[in-house]
Amino acid sequence: MMDSAPLVFYTLAALITFSSIMVVAARTPVISALFLVLDLFLLACVYASLNANFVAVIQVLVYAGAILVLFLFVIMMLNVPRVRSKPRIKALDGLLITMVMVAFLYMLYRVIAQYLSPLPVESAGGSNTEAVGKLLFVEHLWAFELASFLILLAMVASIVITKKRAAP
Amino acid sequence: MGLNFLHDHNLLALAIVIAKVVFLLVLLLQIPPLMIWLERRAPALMQRRRGPNRVGLFKWRLWGLLQSLADAIKLIFKEEIAPAGAHKALFQLAPLLGVIPAFVIVAVIPFGQTITLANGMTIPLSLTQLDVGFLFILAFSSLGVYSVAVAGWASNSKYSLLGSLRASAQMISYEIPLGLSLIPIVLIYGTFDLNSIVAAQEQVWGVVKAPLSFVIFLVCMFAETNRAPFDMAEGEAELVAGFHTEYGSTKFAAFFLSEYVVMFVLSCLAATLFFGGWQIPFISHAWLLATFGTAVAALLGFGALLLKAAFFMWLYVWVRWTLPRFRYDRLMALGWKFLLPLGLFNILLTSVILGSY
Amino acid sequence: MSPDHYYALALIMFVCGVIGITLRRNLIVIMMSIELLLNSVNLIFVAASKAHGLVDGQVMVLFIITIAACEAAVGLAMVIALYRRYGTIDTDFYRMLRG
Repeated sequence: MMDSAPLVFYTLAALITFSSIMVVAARTPVISALFLVLDLFLLACVYASLNANFVAVIQVLVYAGAILVLFLFVIMMLNVPRVRSKPRIKALDGLLITMVMVAFLYMLYRVIAQYLSPLPVESAGGSNTEAVGKLLFVEHLWAFELASFLILLAMVASIVITKKRAAP
Repeated sequence: MGLNFLHDHNLLALAIVIAKVVFLLVLLLQIPPLMIWLERRAPALMQRRRGPNRVGLFKWRLWGLLQSLADAIKLIFKEEIAPAGAHKALFQLAPLLGVIPAFVIVAVIPFGQTITLANGMTIPLSLTQLDVGFLFILAFSSLGVYSVAVAGWASNSKYSLLGSLRASAQMISYEIPLGLSLIPIVLIYGTFDLNSIVAAQEQVWGVVKAPLSFVIFLVCMFAETNRAPFDMAEGEAELVAGFHTEYGSTKFAAFFLSEYVVMFVLSCLAATLFFGGWQIPFISHAWLLATFGTAVAALLGFGALLLKAAFFMWLYVWVRWTLPRFRYDRLMALGWKFLLPLGLFNILLTSVILGSY
Repeated sequence: MSPDHYYALALIMFVCGVIGITLRRNLIVIMMSIELLLNSVNLIFVAASKAHGLVDGQVMVLFIITIAACEAAVGLAMVIALYRRYGTIDTDFYRMLRG
């Protein structure tokens, strides 16, 4: 009996690659945003195929369902006329940065791959949600509290930034 | 190419899954016509007029039930038009974006207790059993907002854009109290799995244990589906039907389809979380199983869930024809300044009570 | 499946994100490219958590999603403020910080 996991993964990977390229390449921001939604949704599928159910659902709920709606909302609210912004042509600097990044990441990838690949341990049994919850609220409790504080800060900051100043 | 679920032992299981999918699809497709009929006859009843009662089959009028069928046929045969300057691809895509999540959500709702056959095979009466059960529902119902947003943007019309801006702001705002209202349920039952939650409600319904949650959930349920009194997205009088102004024909019908299916699913969720799901009140399911056998017990449970869901569907119609529409700023104030603190207070209260026992 | 495949996919996404940040001029598209970067890191965390049989990686993903939410909220607020000030979201028009 053949395993269907590689087939699923390569299909998802091809779609993710395509939509990641489209996020960057699409001329209209709305199209970019929609491809990013697709991208995040497919990533959630990859997470689910890795038995990370809780993270997958949170990814759809928070990332695709809330953060990206915010992006789309701002794009629509600003309603910048559909000017097609072309990529910067004089971007030798950009290309250089990109190449350096690619080289650096490739090296990083090789290093990580060396360390990680000989460890095909299957995850422990039991509910994924339960395991995540235990770890989150026992070991990483301080980080969790700090994250909640960060959210509060971000909320206040965004309100202050967008508040219209009274006319002087 | 052998996919692993096609292994010969699992062929029966596959057939069962397909049967369940077909059954649910057929069931869901019956919801919108019935609801449209109800939404004309119920206000007629309230306002002492007749409503559509003519269209029937031959000499039987059937209380005008076939009016919806006639409407559907009319919509399907209408010409497809897109406004000038619309983004063609997205204009076509938007109704689909609403229909797909609406149908996907149904997969996790339990319609009955898991059936055990004589040969030891078990059939769960829901499409999938996830340990993240209702988070899945929240996730996919939050995707519905894209349909509205994309429809408004792609139509290239200012009414549509205004309608969709309002709708998307409203939907993401009310998702937060909706999520918060469900956290006490998780605290009380200690699981996200809908089957376990239903099983835990055999003695006492969830609404007794978490009444405040139910109130918040009910309000958010109306706001999430953009139904009156929160139907700012449509606002016939101000926005000429909002985000679907420019839609006609099948695509218009698709918006209705997704709206009613989401309403039905949220009704089922309310029944499942707060009113014991498929359990019949005061009658233990074990007794039913012993007396009537598996099939009848499962059918009775399914009927109970449908009845409970039907009550919430009726509530939707009832409220729509009773309450006037909210003003937009008041709607936002209600969500952020009242329901959000109330939801947080509810979580605190529930934790304190649970902790002190 | 060896985790290398997942890392390769994450690498592709990361490169797309970097290209977007350097080459695009629309502020919102740049912010979406940052989201791509964050997501490629998330993918590495989840794949590694599977490979090691540990759940820590998934917890880290939850924190990254939190941070992404904060970043999006503050970033988009700044985009709106900039749009009000300059009437455009094209980065080439922001010359205030240039000498």
